[in-house]
Formats: sequence, C-alpha cells, structure tokens
Amino acid sequence: MKRLVSVLFVLTLGIFSSQIQAIEDKFHFDSPEKNALFLELTKELRCPKCQNQNIADSDAMIAVDLKRKVYELLQKDYDKNQVIDFMKQRYGDFVYYQPPVNPMTIWLWLLPMLFIFIALVGIVISRKRQTPEINQEQLAKAQEILEREE
Amino acid sequence: MKKVAVYLIPLGLFLGLCIFLFQGLFSNPREHQSSLLEQPMPEFVLPDLMNIEKTYTQDVFLGEVTLLNVWGVWCITCAIELPYLKQLQGEGKHIVGLYFDQDMDPDFGIKTVARVQQEVTEKLSQLGNPYAYNIFDVKRDLSMDLGVTGAPETYLIDQQGKIRLHHIGDINPRVWNKKFAPIYDKLVAQ
Repeated sequence: MKRLVSVLFVLTLGIFSSQIQAIEDKFHFDSPEKNALFLELTKELRCPKCQNQNIADSDAMIAVDLKRKVYELLQKDYDKNQVIDFMKQRYGDFVYYQPPVNPMTIWLWLLPMLFIFIALVGIVISRKRQTPEINQEQLAKAQEILEREE
Repeated sequence: MKKVAVYLIPLGLFLGLCIFLFQGLFSNPREHQSSLLEQPMPEFVLPDLMNIEKTYTQDVFLGEVTLLNVWGVWCITCAIELPYLKQLQGEGKHIVGLYFDQDMDPDFGIKTVARVQQEVTEKLSQLGNPYAYNIFDVKRDLSMDLGVTGAPETYLIDQQGKIRLHHIGDINPRVWNKKFAPIYDKLVAQ
C-alpha cells in the first residue's frame, strides 16, 4: 500500500513538472532575469476583455495575444516601463493594474487621509469640550460625601 | 441651529455617496476611452482577405469617411449587426472590414487562407455583405495597435485618416443615432 502511494505521488509530480515544462517551452527566454520580468509583467497587466483577470490568468484570445506581444517586446530588449507604455498607448491606463496619479485619481489616496484627519480633529474637539470644569464647590461636596462614608 | 448643521453633515455625505454609487449602477465597465482618438491610423501593410496578392496600407483611408468594422465569422454579435451594417451601406456609407481569425493562432496550428475565405463567403452570402473590402489582419497586429479587445468593434475614420470614434460592441440604430450620427454627419458635411 505504502509503495502504491509513493508510486502515485511520483507519477503526479511527473505530470505537474511536464506542465511547467510546457509553459517554459512556449515562451523561452535566454536569461532568467527576462523570464522573471515576463512573469511579473503578465501578472500586472490586465486583460482588456475580461474584467478582473491579469493576462497570465486569462485564456481570452486578447490575453494570449498580449502575452505573446510582451514576449516579443522583451526579446527586443524593452525594459519594464517601455512594455507598460506600449500597452498603455493601445489599451489606455486600464491595462495596467497600478493606476497613474493624476488630478482625477489623486483622490484615491487623498480621500482616506482626509477622512482620518477630519475624524482625528473631530475627536480632539469633542474631547476638549467634554472636559468638565470642576470648581471648588464640587470638590468640597465630593470631599463631604467621602468623609461621610468613612 | 449649529447642532442641526452638525447632524446634516453625515446626511449630506450619505446622500453624496448614494448618488455616486447609483451612477455606478448604470456605468458600463467594458467601456473605456480609446487612447487612439484623434490619432492617425497606425501604420500597417496587410492583404485583402479575398485576394491575398493585393495589399493595403494606412493610406487607403485617406479622402473618404470610413467605418472600419472589426469582425469574424466566429463572432455571434457580428452576425447580428451585419444586416444593419448592410442597411447603412445601402444609405451610402463606406464600410471596410478588418477581419481576423481566432484559429489563426501563431502559437498553434494555422488554418488555410482558402478555408477562411470560404467561411467568410458563406457568411456574407447568408447575411448580406456591407463591406467595400476586407483587410485581413493575419497575425492580429493591427488589431493590437488599434487597441481592439474583441469583436465586433467599429472605428470611425475621417478623410485625413484620423480615428474619430471607437465603439466596442455592435452597431444598432440606437448606437448609430446616439454615438455615430452626430460625428459622421459633421465629417461628411466638411
């Protein structure tokens, strides 16, 4: 039984490694750096057809075409930014998951900060207002109560 | 009075959020502005679908307002819009097809051109042929330069060969009247 399990284990491992081999065969790079950059880019570029998948995950025709284009561009020694610019020129900012900072998108960062700031100011103000003013009369009264209980 | 104002602030914020989210209900997530608007057609050299010997370049669009319709026989929505495109052509619009094939995958096997031509001829004789001619985007390079995400998509190109409009999805009377007609009529009147 144990033997059977280990045989099965080795077999499944074999299947997985041959699949990995297949991916590497399709887009073959000479240098491991380029290979890593390819994997990075296909994870960060968004498939224009399918709403929330990167091109590495998507099987849409356009995603396959984009992957091949990324491969071609990397073979032509494009660096990361050049590839992203190439894609943005054609598919707009939509194609890259990291939004650019512009007057429209700046609010994505500003709004939460503004919210925290306003909330903090609000808390400070309300705290200040609440601090009761203890006067001499109240202190004397409290003292009296304490003494009575003793 | 001051207290009322303080209580109105969250209400105001809430209403603002409601309006913002309500608008989101009707926005189309597939619609994004093409970055090629007002740009000249990308350069290309591609063959005619029916006559592979003949080639076209971006200059073919000069001098006439053109509707460049991206399509394929495998695309169901394209088949739905073909009759309406035929009608538009009947009204004197110049429609050019940009044809690409899904199965022509450079990574996998290649479908013969004769087979593609046969499929196209069959489809067009069935549903009507609105196209002056079809440009065959063999490796889908022009589609990529144009930012095509699928089919059908349509570009309105002016007499100077500049892209004036990019529409994702089919063309129907509503889309034509709302989106295309104002720009088209102005261009033709020039």
